Amino acid sequence: MPRNLTFNIFRYNPQDPASVPHMDTFVLGETDSMTLFIALGRIREEQDPSLQFDFCCRAGVCGSCAMVINGRPGLACNTKVKDLPAEITLLPLPFFKLVGDLSVDTGTWFREMYQRVESWVHTERVFDPAQEEERMDNDTANRIYELDRCIECGCCIAACGTARMRKDFLGAAGLNRLARFLIDPRDQRTEREYFELIGNDQGIFGCMGLLACEDVCPKRLPLQDQLGFLRRKMALSVLPWKK
Amino acid sequence: MTVDTTMHVSAPGRSAAYLDWLQMLTGAGLILFMWTHMILVSSVILGVGAMDALAYFFEATGMAQVGGPLIGLAFLVHFALAARKVPFRVEQQKIIWKHAKMLHHRDTWLWLVQAGSAMVILLMGSIHMWTVLTDLPISAAKSAARVQQWQWLLFYLVLLPLVELHVGIGFYRIGVKWGFIRRDNRAKGVKSEKVLTIVFVSIGALTLIRFLTLG
Repeated sequence: MPRNLTFNIFRYNPQDPASVPHMDTFVLGETDSMTLFIALGRIREEQDPSLQFDFCCRAGVCGSCAMVINGRPGLACNTKVKDLPAEITLLPLPFFKLVGDLSVDTGTWFREMYQRVESWVHTERVFDPAQEEERMDNDTANRIYELDRCIECGCCIAACGTARMRKDFLGAAGLNRLARFLIDPRDQRTEREYFELIGNDQGIFGCMGLLACEDVCPKRLPLQDQLGFLRRKMALSVLPWKK
Repeated sequence: MTVDTTMHVSAPGRSAAYLDWLQMLTGAGLILFMWTHMILVSSVILGVGAMDALAYFFEATGMAQVGGPLIGLAFLVHFALAARKVPFRVEQQKIIWKHAKMLHHRDTWLWLVQAGSAMVILLMGSIHMWTVLTDLPISAAKSAARVQQWQWLLFYLVLLPLVELHVGIGFYRIGVKWGFIRRDNRAKGVKSEKVLTIVFVSIGALTLIRFLTLG
């Protein structure tokens, strides 16, 4: 017997002065293999064409459909409604700038984060396009790839108590981003230079270990392990005998 | 939204790292002290003689007179360092409260318990230390007399579970923050935190009962 699902969805259009933040309720019949993304699409097509939410890939790759699903940040496209109760509350991700309804602007924050952690390979070596690509050992490549799998959905930032209280905190996405370069042998930055980027309370020492990032990440990135690794690495680098 | 109005950049320093070390080390030291302290006081369960002999040892070696104030200092330093992360502004308190209620996430709630218990422990722990250290030597009879007054009994019934919760969560969180508790052994970390808290609250409760029944 298919369920009737009740969706409580946050509505607000910051561009419209007459708009007031409120919750709207929609009822929809459950279908086989229904994801939240499919449900939202049907609500928009059948009940309210003005409902705003982001999507692109529909396969958990682009990270644009992140929202708060019954209290937990997650992706609409890889959340099956059969795993949820019949009453579903959807809110936009907190922390990020609201575009409208369930749509938020994560791009501005991620761009600024890139600049803060200087998210590119720093090297003095001159690139020679004619030369064969330099080989990297497989383990290192896999370790980098594991961290590069971040889809920048913003779930870890929205779930982070520290980031919610302190807007300047880099969060798991930013710290994970830096960790990716730290283990990349092509990046010639010294430990001291990495420390200057994240060795403060806005960086790794601001992390309070609440682990919500680890628990909500839709790609299951090893965020807990990265945060522990970075704190140890950065804290050990200031010891007198390390100078 | 922040507006950058300065031409200079602040000089990068190492203080955040040193403060983080100090917060962890004072925390770890206080955890070890609290567990040791609980075991030592619980010696009264074995007998008045056992507790008094231990108290005499710490008195005669000067450890109570010197160690007591040092623990008090570590306690205050730990508070000052950890307070850097505690939301004292109402707007931050509202945010973290709403956030925890929204998220239904155990570790986020545990941090709120840790931050909240810290405030009570700061006050009650100070009262406890002042009372004990200004009335040395420690003896089973004196402790029993105090616990047998209902005001003090109530005091310790509040302080004991809060301290053990704070210490147990702190133990777990140091493990997480410094990478000793990883994804692959997190379940074990959570279990040890629970077991240690329950064990020490139980030892504390038994000790209080023993003090209450001392004639």
